Amino acid sequence: MDFRLTEEQELLRNSVREFTQQYLEPIAGEIDEEGRYPAEVVAKLAEMDWMGIPYPQEYGGAGADYLSYCIVVEELSRACASTGIILSVHTSLASWPIFQFGTEEQKKKYLVPLCKGEKIGSFCLTEPGAGTDAAAGTTTAVLDGDEYVLNGTKHFITNGPVAGIYIVFAMTDKSKGAKGMSAFIVPREAPGLKVGKHENKMGIRASQTAEIILKDCRIPKENLLGQEGQGYRIAMQTLDGGRIGVAAQALGIAQAALDESVKYSKERVQFGKPISANQAIQWMIANMATDIAAARFLTYYAAWCKDQGLPYSKEAAMAKLFAAETASRHTSKAVQIHGGYGYIKGYKVERLMRDAKITEIYEGTSEVQRMVIAGNLLR
Amino acid sequence: MSGVWVLGERREQTLELLNAGLGLARELGTTVTAFAIQDQGLAKTYIECGADTVYLLGSLAPEQPLEDYVPVIVDVARQKNPDIFLISATPRGKEMAARIAARLGVGLGSECTRLRLDENKSLVMERLMFGGAAVQTVVCLTRPQMATIPPRTFEPAVPLANREGEIIELPAPPAGKVRVLERKPRVQESVDITEARVVVAIGRGVEKQEDIELIQELANVAGGELGCTRPIAEELHWLPENRYLGISGQKIKPDLYIGVGVSGQIQHISGIRDAKVICAINKDENAPIFEAADYGIVGDLYAVVPQLTRELQRVLKK
Amino acid sequence: MPRIITCYKWVKDEADIKVDTSSRQLTLDRVGYKISDYDRNAIEEAVRMQEQHGGSVIAVTVGPPSAKQSLKDALSRGPEEAYFINDPSFAELEPAQTAAILAAVIKGRLEYDLIICGEGSSDLYAQQVGPRLAELLGIPCATYVNKLALEGTRINVERKLDDGIEKISLPLPALVTVLPDINTPRLPGLKQVLAAGKKPVHNIGLKDLGLTCEVTLNTTGILAATMERRRLRFGAGNEDIRKVVDALLKEGVIA
Ligand SMILES: Cc1cc2nc3c(=O)[nH]c(=O)nc-3n(C[C@H](O)[C@H](O)[C@H](O)COP(=O)(O)OP(=O)(O)OC[C@H]3O[C@@H](n4cnc5c(N)ncnc54)[C@H](O)[C@@H]3O)c2cc1C
Ligand SMILES: Cc1cc2nc3c(=O)[nH]c(=O)nc-3n(C[C@H](O)[C@H](O)[C@H](O)COP(=O)(O)OP(=O)(O)OC[C@H]3O[C@@H](n4cnc5c(N)ncnc54)[C@H](O)[C@@H]3O)c2cc1C
Repeated sequence: MDFRLTEEQELLRNSVREFTQQYLEPIAGEIDEEGRYPAEVVAKLAEMDWMGIPYPQEYGGAGADYLSYCIVVEELSRACASTGIILSVHTSLASWPIFQFGTEEQKKKYLVPLCKGEKIGSFCLTEPGAGTDAAAGTTTAVLDGDEYVLNGTKHFITNGPVAGIYIVFAMTDKSKGAKGMSAFIVPREAPGLKVGKHENKMGIRASQTAEIILKDCRIPKENLLGQEGQGYRIAMQTLDGGRIGVAAQALGIAQAALDESVKYSKERVQFGKPISANQAIQWMIANMATDIAAARFLTYYAAWCKDQGLPYSKEAAMAKLFAAETASRHTSKAVQIHGGYGYIKGYKVERLMRDAKITEIYEGTSEVQRMVIAGNLLR
Repeated sequence: MSGVWVLGERREQTLELLNAGLGLARELGTTVTAFAIQDQGLAKTYIECGADTVYLLGSLAPEQPLEDYVPVIVDVARQKNPDIFLISATPRGKEMAARIAARLGVGLGSECTRLRLDENKSLVMERLMFGGAAVQTVVCLTRPQMATIPPRTFEPAVPLANREGEIIELPAPPAGKVRVLERKPRVQESVDITEARVVVAIGRGVEKQEDIELIQELANVAGGELGCTRPIAEELHWLPENRYLGISGQKIKPDLYIGVGVSGQIQHISGIRDAKVICAINKDENAPIFEAADYGIVGDLYAVVPQLTRELQRVLKK
Repeated sequence: MPRIITCYKWVKDEADIKVDTSSRQLTLDRVGYKISDYDRNAIEEAVRMQEQHGGSVIAVTVGPPSAKQSLKDALSRGPEEAYFINDPSFAELEPAQTAAILAAVIKGRLEYDLIICGEGSSDLYAQQVGPRLAELLGIPCATYVNKLALEGTRINVERKLDDGIEKISLPLPALVTVLPDINTPRLPGLKQVLAAGKKPVHNIGLKDLGLTCEVTLNTTGILAATMERRRLRFGAGNEDIRKVVDALLKEGVIA
């Protein structure tokens, strides 16, 4: 057993830290406030070869492992959780299904621009009536000659307004329920694809979330990903990997909360001594650090399982569940440590607390993670 | 052994080193030798100010760099075996010192800010390391004991009565391999920040270049000059480079330093450490500058500076 | 096509140093290490020159065996091979020793047109290794350079000095030490990081050098720099500002 990262992973972590210091920390508060997508930063992520980290260089990726990808999401999220999820959805929800289930042509045409960061990816599963129960979706795809025609509305779609490539799930045979769902690669230019309402969110405000409206949206039939009827399986397997990314995002948020709390509690003086001299504060910090360490092990372990070709569905669910709840709980504690200041905009912990909550919701709520874990155990 | 030698790139630095050298020579019971560059008049001044011997370095051709003196100086040093050799830590001085030390095969203490003799009469030198976070004490095990000394570390030596000394002319050095193509003197500013009694330094907390006016007013009322942090000069170019303070910029010793929107990283603090009083205005109560300040005002500079200016105006009746 | 050598030092990150205020001792056991800031500019300049003119870039470092960690970092920044001169006794070298070791390695083994060093190291900042190395190799040098241009068999440089700019021309082979504002070192991309491990590294030990490095400078102490300050805090209210002004008047620093 070796708990050390490789030299390459350490170097990568250092370069992400320098990157965030230089490009993200200075703007993170501002883009959150304005709800502005940091296009200039995303362009730089591509220059750093971070838009296709775990994919082979022949497809424009960096050819590194999933753990490296986690490190990047973690460190980006430590500075700006919005940027963390932009990269995570792009990499593990949009690029991965093409890499895993796509034909060689599909990979050349769609995975390469995604990995190079020339196009941003997004993943369209959720519908107004189909959240946790994703199989209840009503979006349909009908084969018409050489084309599929898609109709329906997806919502809460991360990267929706900025994406060039959408992975869309639609029913090709409603009568079969989950087994009647199929996955499609839909380019932005496809006629009939429209970006609908943008959501005004509580947190991760710099990542863009919107409705994607498909109205007689026509795509060539070669854009079917995998086989007809495989859609639900593709979605679930994709989410298994995505959850490791969200776990890394939550980990970064929690780590930032700890960093801020340590710094602040040593400096803030009340009753003539720094507040860190109080055991009440010390315990909060000790608990925080311990949970973060545990979350990190779970997350890295899930990534390692994936890299080793071992099953990782349960591991990913555990990592996401624990990391997300750690982030939520401890960003709230971090605000507590900051007292009134922590409640005021401009203090980083205020943003962290708002950002943390989403990690318990998307890519499967915490309840869903527990269902996955239990399902694995009680099979 | 031939005592304490001093080499300064210019007059004022030579006088400062002479002062330091005279103190050491007195304790050692030895003589002081200075180098004068090309100028007989300077050589006489150095003798008036305490040098026993002056080596007058011969003239350089216009395209010869100052560093061409290295072989000439090394030759006399080999013949005469000085005990201590102090060189001014100007950029050229530092290069020359390192090359002289390499040729003589001896150690060199760089940018030493304090000198003393220990019980064995060895030169003990103090210098900063780790960006100014620590003081390193070093002793040379070889002779001459060499050190470079930053300008203004010592007060200049003053003329003494009835001084006599010997001026020895050294040959002009032959041209080396390096050719000077052009010298662009720095546009001399009317004020020298290192001389100012009050320095108000701006940092990146100042948002726009126009806002400097606000700080300038404060400086005017306080009777001071504007300084800045490195990013203000080197990245934003809002103030000339000789206005930035720190380990790689100017080191100042004013009565009062006021940092406005300066975070107070160690590299900056190293340049202001010797200020008598340090005052800081920063909106981040955790900014490291408060650790280094006597008077820390936690607040937005855009609110604090005008208030402070008004209050100073009031009490100083300006 | 210039054959370039760039020298760098693996140093303690001063930002990690903790101080015990009462004893003035430095706590160094948890410090991280980094490529000295100024040397990053040196590596970057070498790589830029290669991008412009072709040729080759070799990175050379002298340090204890633990400095092995620096190699992939350095190589990810662009040089195509590295020389790692290491010995347990190389942990706290003085500039004269480092220069002597570098000279011994370069003389016998490497052909070069240009050597680029940082102006000084971010730990000791003695600013000696560059010019000393030039002397030991018997080549011309230019220190404090913030612009360089290769012109055939010469290199023309701008030195930024305390009294202005000096433009000088040196015949190759030559050595320059560069200032931090000569360039902004790029952050290595992930592919560069992964490729670094595949680049050749030449390990050289003390006994391969046949050199004894005399100590000429003895460090007798390292203590935290002290700064006795009052550390009084005030708010931004009128009352507080008045108190500060009063205090400054009493100190006699404004009049
Ligand atoms: C900011 C943001 C970004 C998003 N990005 C994307 C995206 O890029 N692509 C995409 O497809 N979707 C995205 N989503 C959708 C997200 O994945 C869903 O919101 C999530 O899966 C929950 O679905 P729901 O909102 O419909 O909640 P519901 O499914 O209505 O759940 C409501 C509550 O009921 C609980 N619950 C539901 N069913 C059960 C059950 N069987 N047992 C126990 N408890 C249950 C849930 O855990 C939750 O607490 C995003 C959402 C947000 C807010
Ligand atoms: C090898 C090396 C050598 C260096 N040498 C030097 C040197 O010689 N000199 C030097 O200065 N630096 C030097 N630096 C850089 C140094 O490390 C710092 O980066 C620099 O000093 C920071 O400058 P700053 O305080 O202006 O900016 P920042 O660190 O960005 O600080 C800005 C400050 O302004 C405050 N602020 C923002 N808005 C307001 C407001 N409205 N009101 C009040 N406060 C506000 C912020 O809280 C913050 O503390 C060196 C660095 C290295 C690596």
